[in-house]
Amino acid sequence: MKFDAIIMGGGLTGLTAGIALAQAGRDVAVVSNGQSTLHFNGGTLDLLGCDEAGNAVRNPLNAIDALSDNHPYKKVGDVKALAEKAQRLLDGAGIATEGNAEKNHWRLTPIGGMKPAWLSLKGMATIDDPDHLPWKSVAVVNIVNYLDFLSPFVAEALRERGVQVDVKEFTTPELDEARKSPSEMRATNIAKVVERQDLTQTVADAINYCLDKEYDMVLLPAVLGISSGERGDQLLQLIDTPAAFVATLPPSVPGVRMQTLLRKRFQQLGGTFIVGDQVTGGRFEGDKLKCVTTAKLEGSVLEAENFVLATGSFMSRGLVADYNHIYEPALGVDVDDNGLNRANWAALEVTDPQPYMETGVRTDEHLRCSKDGTTIANLYAAGSILSGHNGIKRVDASGVDMITALQVANNILNS
Amino acid sequence: MTKSEVNNHYDVIVIGGGITGAGTARDCAMRGLKVLLVERFDYSTGATGRNHGLMHSGARYAVTDHESAKECIRENMTLRKIARHCVEETDGLFITLPEDDLGFQATFVQKCTEAGIRAEVIDPKQAIALEPSVNPDLIGAVRVPDASIDPFRLTMANVLDAQLHGAEALVYHEVIDILIEQGRVIGVKLRNNHNGEERTVYAQVTINAAGIWGSLIAQMAGVKINMFPAKGSLLIFGHRVNHMVINRCRKPANADILVPDDAVCVIGTTSVRVPIETCDDLRVTPEEVEELLAEGMKLAPSLGSTRILRGYAGVRPLVASDDDPSGRSISRGIVTLDHETRDGLAGFLTITGGKMMTYRLMAEEVTDLACKKLGVTKACETADKPLPGSEPQTPPNRKYSFSQRASYGRHGTLDWAVNRGDNTNDALVCECEGVSVGEVKYAIEKLHVYNLINLRRRTRVGMGTCQGELCACRAAGVMCDREQGAQKSIDDLAGFMNERWKGMQPVAWGDTLAEAQLTATIYQGLLGIDTMTKERRKEYYEI
Repeated sequence: MKFDAIIMGGGLTGLTAGIALAQAGRDVAVVSNGQSTLHFNGGTLDLLGCDEAGNAVRNPLNAIDALSDNHPYKKVGDVKALAEKAQRLLDGAGIATEGNAEKNHWRLTPIGGMKPAWLSLKGMATIDDPDHLPWKSVAVVNIVNYLDFLSPFVAEALRERGVQVDVKEFTTPELDEARKSPSEMRATNIAKVVERQDLTQTVADAINYCLDKEYDMVLLPAVLGISSGERGDQLLQLIDTPAAFVATLPPSVPGVRMQTLLRKRFQQLGGTFIVGDQVTGGRFEGDKLKCVTTAKLEGSVLEAENFVLATGSFMSRGLVADYNHIYEPALGVDVDDNGLNRANWAALEVTDPQPYMETGVRTDEHLRCSKDGTTIANLYAAGSILSGHNGIKRVDASGVDMITALQVANNILNS
Repeated sequence: MTKSEVNNHYDVIVIGGGITGAGTARDCAMRGLKVLLVERFDYSTGATGRNHGLMHSGARYAVTDHESAKECIRENMTLRKIARHCVEETDGLFITLPEDDLGFQATFVQKCTEAGIRAEVIDPKQAIALEPSVNPDLIGAVRVPDASIDPFRLTMANVLDAQLHGAEALVYHEVIDILIEQGRVIGVKLRNNHNGEERTVYAQVTINAAGIWGSLIAQMAGVKINMFPAKGSLLIFGHRVNHMVINRCRKPANADILVPDDAVCVIGTTSVRVPIETCDDLRVTPEEVEELLAEGMKLAPSLGSTRILRGYAGVRPLVASDDDPSGRSISRGIVTLDHETRDGLAGFLTITGGKMMTYRLMAEEVTDLACKKLGVTKACETADKPLPGSEPQTPPNRKYSFSQRASYGRHGTLDWAVNRGDNTNDALVCECEGVSVGEVKYAIEKLHVYNLINLRRRTRVGMGTCQGELCACRAAGVMCDREQGAQKSIDDLAGFMNERWKGMQPVAWGDTLAEAQLTATIYQGLLGIDTMTKERRKEYYEI
């Protein structure tokens, strides 16, 4: 099979690159093992939330200049333009967002933390300034026996900031379907039950019933709308007071929704999504990658003009650390391991910056990979597989995914 | 005496909530003594919770230490009766590899037989059939009655039984002074490590059962015990590679025992002398990991491709013989010190040395001595009466759910006290280990649970392959609902995750590194817990 471009990895990075290339009329295939870190997403995207000194960033675009030179943002052109393009791309996929690249807002975490964010999915609770919350009275409403939304924690965090908070819970007999097995009370299962039985009105009634007075804001666990944002919008409208969602523990409904909608969009644009498979190797000729093999396409190969490596970091198996070294398992491209050996991949305290997270695939200024020291002219890398950034400490993981994916798409289109 | 004085007075104070202290408290209470057990952190925080979980047959000591071997096999048979719900009868193999001297096997079997340990030479092919994970190059094998035992469960069962017999038990209470009057220990001063409050308690006999920290307790009382902290590091693997204990048939050496425990297996140990000051914060070094892995693969080659969940280290309380001031002559046997005859300090006993295996015998010896001093003649019954959870029972119902079976396995007959049958109690907190909300509540109410680490030791929450990815957070929510404020729960959660990391960090490669990154993505990325804690590190002296 032959394509204009083959993208290895079907998460946020791979699908962003895939959509951008497909929109430009290219024939693109995405090879995905079916996993995506979007399943752990909190319904927001971050561009740059924390500078290298550990301080929260107000204006991500301004703060990018101060990042060290090996940060992936230093290899992209106009971050502002790409950020706007990313937001339009999401919008085109049916993922409505709020926010912009010049001013971070804040999201509420499932345990009441507040973290800087660039874009939040419509309907998610957001805050402009954590020191001055926009609400005087809030009801934090959970589903009875749902353990993945820590309503007392969220309530205490708000109370500390001077908000009057009541913790409420609701249920409906129909939700018992999600309780059939004790391990099924998870966000995505609840979402499926609500969709299957069309329970939005029932759930709204139950929530309204448990609210005995007016609140400035009702905060709900984000367990609605796995295939589209509509059901969540509907629910919020059916609630008598202003209401918004807060992310839950994984699996994340807003995250799964983003993944689903991006994939749908890619396929609508004519992209080929090969799921449940992964690239196992490639044939290099000179400074070009000619084709790749996959685990399931026995005997046949995938050929393309250009390739994008977007298989993610260690947790996605895009990078592997074995007993002695860090490597990229699909194609064996060169890795920046920053001269580390196993004893110092990991720092002693869990919240220390972990050196292994800064390792990753080595790229040139055009985000092209190299193999055995030779730059491969038609093989690009994007997203968290890139070396030079720590997505957790910088709060820039999804930004790096989308911005570098769009830059790679541009580089391919301009090549 | 006023009422409050009566409440502060005991026959016996036992210092140390490891298996020795718990066993001693049980024995003393069963003899009718008024007992107070005090522990500065949690039960099984020290060496008790940091070993193989091996129920020795004694075979390991048969050649080098006949007495220890005899003690082991006797206690092994006793624990099978009294602690059934803590023991898994796996049997063990002592294998001879090509590089070992096969001639040692005959001596080994003869010495085992002399000590009363069933030791059956089997054909290497039969050994492979019995235990497919064993190194196929083996040239000899002996089958012995080794088994695996859950030290957390065993300690808790001893504490519960002590309480059923009237003992009081205080965790997070640290001895900060020993009170001496006219050449006699009359009590101890305690500090509550949760709130800093101090109080004094009195007893006619104070028993020092504080493991390696016993040397510091003795020092507080002005007497000297020559102890040599020996750090032993171990690795836990992500699944149960072997179903029988595998040992090397040679003189005991490093990393030559592989024990199946529950759903995992453990290789160990190394042995390094360390300064006593380091015993509160031991780290497994890269060199130790290397040695454990290399030696472990000789027992079961598939360990090389099995995920290592974590590494941890404990400290053996080795004691120098009193008649050897140089400290070179180390005893691994039981050491009972009557400080009245030894140092002229009445009312103070130390029980140390020994092994987890022989905890009951150690408890019996020191309780006998305490009873003698108190004029109590009642005989020891701890070898005959089953521990709570191990009473005669009907086998578990086959219709039990996964979580009910798991809970039954953990709590034995005490499982009746776990509420279930409704949506609230049946909701699963930990999917790996099958821990329900009902079981968490039971542990909080009955098993002295104040934080997530306590909860892990009672229920295995966070011990599974994910090492607490989501269950720790859910459990924090359940605990918060019940009695704690949210900030305390968040600090607790952060401390728990750091404690899990401390064990993963030395083995952070392969799947463990990938899992660590996922955990960081969830706890720091999604939840933002790193921005939410009030630093409270000291309390988390943990693995």
